[in-house]
Amino acid sequence: MRTATTTADALRVAAPADRGAHTSAGDADPAFREASRARSGQGGELREWLAAWNAFWFTPADPLPLAMVRICAGALLVWAAFVWLLDADAFFGATGWQRPENVWRMNDQPWQWSWYFVTGSSGGPRLLAGVTLVAAVMLTLGIATPLAAVVSLAGLISAANRAPLNVFGFDDVLGMLLIAVAIGPAGAALSVDRLLAPDVTASRPTVRANIALRLLQVHLCVVYLFSGCGKLLGASWWEGTALWGAAANVQYRTLDLRWLAWHPLVTNALTLATLWWEIAYAAIVWPRLTRRVAIAMAVPVHLGIGLAMGMMEFGLAMLVANMAFVPAAVLRRAVGPFLGTARERS
Amino acid sequence: MVEDIPMPPEAARPAPDRWSPVTRAVASAGIVLYLACVIMPPLAGPPPASGLAVAALQPLRPLVGALSLGHGYRFFAPDPGPGHSIRWSMEFADGSTRKGIIPDRDTDRPRLLYHRRFMISEKIAALVPPAGVPEEARRQSRGDWQPLVKDVAGHLLERHGGDRVTLELVEHYLPAPEEVMRAEAGADAVTPLGTYALAEEGLP
Repeated sequence: MRTATTTADALRVAAPADRGAHTSAGDADPAFREASRARSGQGGELREWLAAWNAFWFTPADPLPLAMVRICAGALLVWAAFVWLLDADAFFGATGWQRPENVWRMNDQPWQWSWYFVTGSSGGPRLLAGVTLVAAVMLTLGIATPLAAVVSLAGLISAANRAPLNVFGFDDVLGMLLIAVAIGPAGAALSVDRLLAPDVTASRPTVRANIALRLLQVHLCVVYLFSGCGKLLGASWWEGTALWGAAANVQYRTLDLRWLAWHPLVTNALTLATLWWEIAYAAIVWPRLTRRVAIAMAVPVHLGIGLAMGMMEFGLAMLVANMAFVPAAVLRRAVGPFLGTARERS
Repeated sequence: MVEDIPMPPEAARPAPDRWSPVTRAVASAGIVLYLACVIMPPLAGPPPASGLAVAALQPLRPLVGALSLGHGYRFFAPDPGPGHSIRWSMEFADGSTRKGIIPDRDTDRPRLLYHRRFMISEKIAALVPPAGVPEEARRQSRGDWQPLVKDVAGHLLERHGGDRVTLELVEHYLPAPEEVMRAEAGADAVTPLGTYALAEEGLP
């Protein structure tokens, strides 16, 4: 592979050689020959970039990780839709926490669509939240998976766009997961679809599976990067005291961490570890050497948020997204018995 | 050296699923578009954000809105602050009163339901100026938060069948570690959000 220095040198040589070429006298000029080599070097680098792009996005991938993301994301959406249904009229109804005309006015319309905008009757919101619930159950089980994935995504987006006052990071991350599931062949493994219509080629590596997983991986890196960079605006993250602000917040608290008041250095360490892990994630999750550290750190961070701050759904959704970085071979070993059963039946 | 995620042996073999250059080009355009929709919203907001990022986001708004990708991902940033709730007091036609709080830790279960209602008070609190802000700025901000509060008031009146409801925003005191060690606690800050009644057309 050519180095950046070589490329820069080649570009410097290329300019006079171009003039030589225009005079048609450059063929015999050593500088022209060198420039020609440099130009082919440029093309070579471009080809290298294209090859890397193609390898990154268009190498067929095992659909198993995507199938596992589907199951987990589907289960989370089942739970989310069930909770929406507990108070569907308040979230999505005409006289809910926010009236539809106000939401329509505040959203970036007409782009932020929602199927709840067309329901006026008292039963409409429940019916549509029920549709989301049914689709989520089907998605989890892998029944009519492509259709279930699209309807599940539509249900989630509809809820988020109709009830912006009631959504939070959990919904953002669940949307990220469901987009990947809707794009890729998420029902190609560990699904009822696969059991009912056994196709020996269905669970083979595909480009669509790779694209879906890559989009999820890159999106997750963006989430962590901006989450980390946003924290750099706050003094408490630099001071290492931000975790105290979260632990002492009575509205979030589900686990009493006030003992941290007596251990400020522990607070510092936990705060700074979280901050720098988030910022570094997008860089350290790709090399094999540091990938395990990046993913392993996600477990205590997100389970800690879930247990201590009552946001277990958000924590689990982030951990599911991290699953996109776990090599398929590792997951295949973990779910081997289930895959074996499926193969036997097929 | 950045390296690719390793593929299982089966996936490493030449697979029949290969895309033509044209298909790859079209897919690449779609990938670039999607990634732009993922990256631009957090670059363009919440503040501070550059004018360039805001301008670059404009042509992407249809897809960002349609896929609900307009997120800032600034979790607990810039600093984790105090929590908020909305206290309400309702008067009924028979002269009785009823009080409540959003969210209600005792009745809003499961926890996800609590959190969805907690977001109401947090998002309204983000628009209401803190104590000490000049009256002029407070008056100007009213147009941002009052439509939200009116809807919340209207929903409470519809839900409980009341005549009038008074709401106030409670900012729960966030104690410093030293205060916890001394078993001290400060007072919560309370900001009135107004009194609302249902008009004839059903709007508060």
